[in-house]
Amino acid sequence: MLTYLQNIVKLTQGDFTLSPRLAVYYVTLQCNLNCTYCEDFGSRRNHLVTQNPTFEDARQILKVIRMGVDRLWLTGGEPLMVPHVLDLLAYARNELKFCEISLITNGTLLSQRLNLLPLLDRLIISLDSADPQALNMVSVPDAYADTVIANARQAASLQQTQYFKLIINAVITPETLAGMDKLLAFGMENNAQISFSPQSVNNLPRYELVTSAEYRAFIERVIQLKRQGAPILGSNSYFKTLLDQTPYECYPTLVPRIMPDGWLAYPCRPMEKAGSEQGGRAVNLLDVQTWDEAWRIAKEKYGEAPTSCVSCFQQCYAEPSLMQAHPFEYLTEKLRGNDPGAYAPG
Amino acid sequence: MPQGKDLGSEVFAEHAPATRLWEPNDGSRRNPDVIIIGGGMAGLSAALHLAERGLHPLILEADEKFIGGRLAGGETVRIDEHSFRLEHGVHGIWSQYRNLQAMLARHNLRPGFVPAQEENWIYKDGKFVGMTPVGSTIRRSFIPPPFHYLQLFLRGKFLWMLDLRDWASLMNVWSGLIMAVGIDPFAENQPMEGVTLGDVTKKWSPALKSLFLGLARNGLSSHPDEVSISGFIAFLRFYTLLRRDAWMFSYLPEDGGTSICEPLAARVEELGGKIRLGCRVKRVVREAESWRVVWETPEGEESTCATDVILAADPNNAKKILGASFGGLVDELFFPRALSNAVIRLWFDVKPRATAEAGIFTGDFTVHNYFWLDRIYNPFRRWARETNGSALEVHVYGPPETLAQPDATLLAHAISDVQQAWPELRGHRIGQHLQRNPETHTLPTVGAKEKYLGIETPWDNLFCAGDWVRHPAPAFFLERACLTGIEAANAVLTSRGLPKWTLLEYLPPEPFVAWIEKLMRMGRKRRKKNLAVK
Repeated sequence: MLTYLQNIVKLTQGDFTLSPRLAVYYVTLQCNLNCTYCEDFGSRRNHLVTQNPTFEDARQILKVIRMGVDRLWLTGGEPLMVPHVLDLLAYARNELKFCEISLITNGTLLSQRLNLLPLLDRLIISLDSADPQALNMVSVPDAYADTVIANARQAASLQQTQYFKLIINAVITPETLAGMDKLLAFGMENNAQISFSPQSVNNLPRYELVTSAEYRAFIERVIQLKRQGAPILGSNSYFKTLLDQTPYECYPTLVPRIMPDGWLAYPCRPMEKAGSEQGGRAVNLLDVQTWDEAWRIAKEKYGEAPTSCVSCFQQCYAEPSLMQAHPFEYLTEKLRGNDPGAYAPG
Repeated sequence: MPQGKDLGSEVFAEHAPATRLWEPNDGSRRNPDVIIIGGGMAGLSAALHLAERGLHPLILEADEKFIGGRLAGGETVRIDEHSFRLEHGVHGIWSQYRNLQAMLARHNLRPGFVPAQEENWIYKDGKFVGMTPVGSTIRRSFIPPPFHYLQLFLRGKFLWMLDLRDWASLMNVWSGLIMAVGIDPFAENQPMEGVTLGDVTKKWSPALKSLFLGLARNGLSSHPDEVSISGFIAFLRFYTLLRRDAWMFSYLPEDGGTSICEPLAARVEELGGKIRLGCRVKRVVREAESWRVVWETPEGEESTCATDVILAADPNNAKKILGASFGGLVDELFFPRALSNAVIRLWFDVKPRATAEAGIFTGDFTVHNYFWLDRIYNPFRRWARETNGSALEVHVYGPPETLAQPDATLLAHAISDVQQAWPELRGHRIGQHLQRNPETHTLPTVGAKEKYLGIETPWDNLFCAGDWVRHPAPAFFLERACLTGIEAANAVLTSRGLPKWTLLEYLPPEPFVAWIEKLMRMGRKRRKKNLAVK
């Protein structure tokens, strides 16, 4: 909350390089799935995958991150494929004292790693459908699809005893759209919160979705259900943005991303991936002593982060930026018991 | 536009000289399904959407080296032992360019854009030269449109540019802007003939008039007395008047050819389309159920046939081709004017003081806008990082007597203007390049419906596409070219019973301005009714 307020002051002063509200650390680039919509690290892109960092390096990276933020998201690739992920979580929780730790997983290996649940505040399972056949259509093999659904149920049942919240994060694709209502019911039945984001192609919501009446109707229904109190993560502003692709001011520094080997993606992942002169892998956290030093080097190399960017509509950037720009809605969400600063799946 | 049958084409077919039949060089001996005349954004968009549906389009582009029309890349120049690729001029990809962006993204061709951060207004009146940021203030204004420009009046630097006359004429200016809210020239097909921007702004005060005329100069590349009020209103509505976020845009990361047109052309070819450069189309001739298109190459005249033709050339060339094909009838049609301009690039061995990466020059300047290339384009950024230099692009949009000046004179004027804005650059110029663009830049205007060519033409299976073509959508320039390209492809697809492409709609006006728009429309309707009664 304090960072949020500090950022409001920054904005009023015309400073758009906002302080981070959380950091996302890609524990690994390896993944055991090959989802059709994955633009990052699906197994078919294994040639891009670098070796996992050693536990020592990963610890050092988290240590530097902790100097700048107190909320951590671990993602991948598939983080549960990393042998030392449990030790890393324990280190983050017990020694670095992160206030909030979230883990994003595809859920396939969860039943073998249930011992990490007590270390988490939020477990996010990427599940695009409650129907194995629909999952199969986004290239999740049958064997895995049944496992993921069973593991999600099991994780849901452990929420009360292990003190974490389960979130189901669904990517809407033309193939999964029809099953979204069923997934919503699955989430509610299992006392999980649900977040949705449309499949992105080249950083824009997929053409087949935005030109589809069914997609529009679904998003409108989500807005309505949310109003009625359904456990849906995501602000109204965000869902309205999804409806019309309304441009928004993006503040990418709110959610910095760090690659497995310690490189800071500056100012955001899409620009880092574009490999242009305005962004990139600016600085390696293994080469610096402090978080501030890393950011100083990044800014020196690529300049201040741009703001009036209409380049992407990815939830991970749109949601925190919209919430930062709309304090009234932020407050409303807070009063509803949600945490609008932390909608950053993906 | 009334539909007719092959108007005039029979007459010309008789006199068509013998031409060499063109055959594809892949040995397929297959005639194209559709011939597209012009390889600019409209032609490429049409070709891509046809090829995606399994048709075989053939694009005929007049330029001998580069595909893309006004968005094409160009030759390279060497400055300071570095190579820089030229192009027609820097383009903005605006937030409302929705169909263009959707098309590129669908094919993974949308490049990593460079978000625009700030745009300056530089004003010269006699010896006074002022500079103030305006772009971010307008797009981030907390006041809803159409009053969002008022936030500029909270900026000291902006107030410094004004004098008492500007305050006195404020109401005048605003009433002019409000007028633009009530009329949608494209959707209503309102030519508003006989009224120019110069007429409307005659009584406006110097600085505010200069600001809006500067916008018109930049947006419409023409002298205010030549800018039709319909074109200016449509321009204001699309880019800024109805939504604050309409003035959000990005730059391409490199020249238009490298960033968009060449990858797009490669995709068209991957999908089975063909592209021929250096083919200057002379005429089209009706032959039974198909069209024969005749073109000139350095090796002589060639021709081929297709059932459908999409004319996606610039307005001047479209008029020429139609005139050669159908004779005098074409003289009665309306074609927006196409204008020339000059683009000057200057390289310096130092950087200027902190300034916006782009902006407009107004008042007593020769140049009309500027872009710091070392803050936009990757090759320039790399060079600037290595050398600590900077590079500036300025555009000159007329008047004709200015453009008629010899290169050396025009360059001297531009350098003088730049040095007045950034005196610290005096003595640091290490290179310059002046480029004169031909008369291909459309001056958006609305023509009377019965004379103004739309996607469909009086000739069966001959369609038009381009940023000059009649269409009710509010889009401009690159987006309009793309949109009409898709629409022309849709017309072909429909005639063949194939599924059409869905277009993305444009964002509606913000609620307050939408309410004003509604009131004004009701007022106009009532006034019309009263006049009819009288």
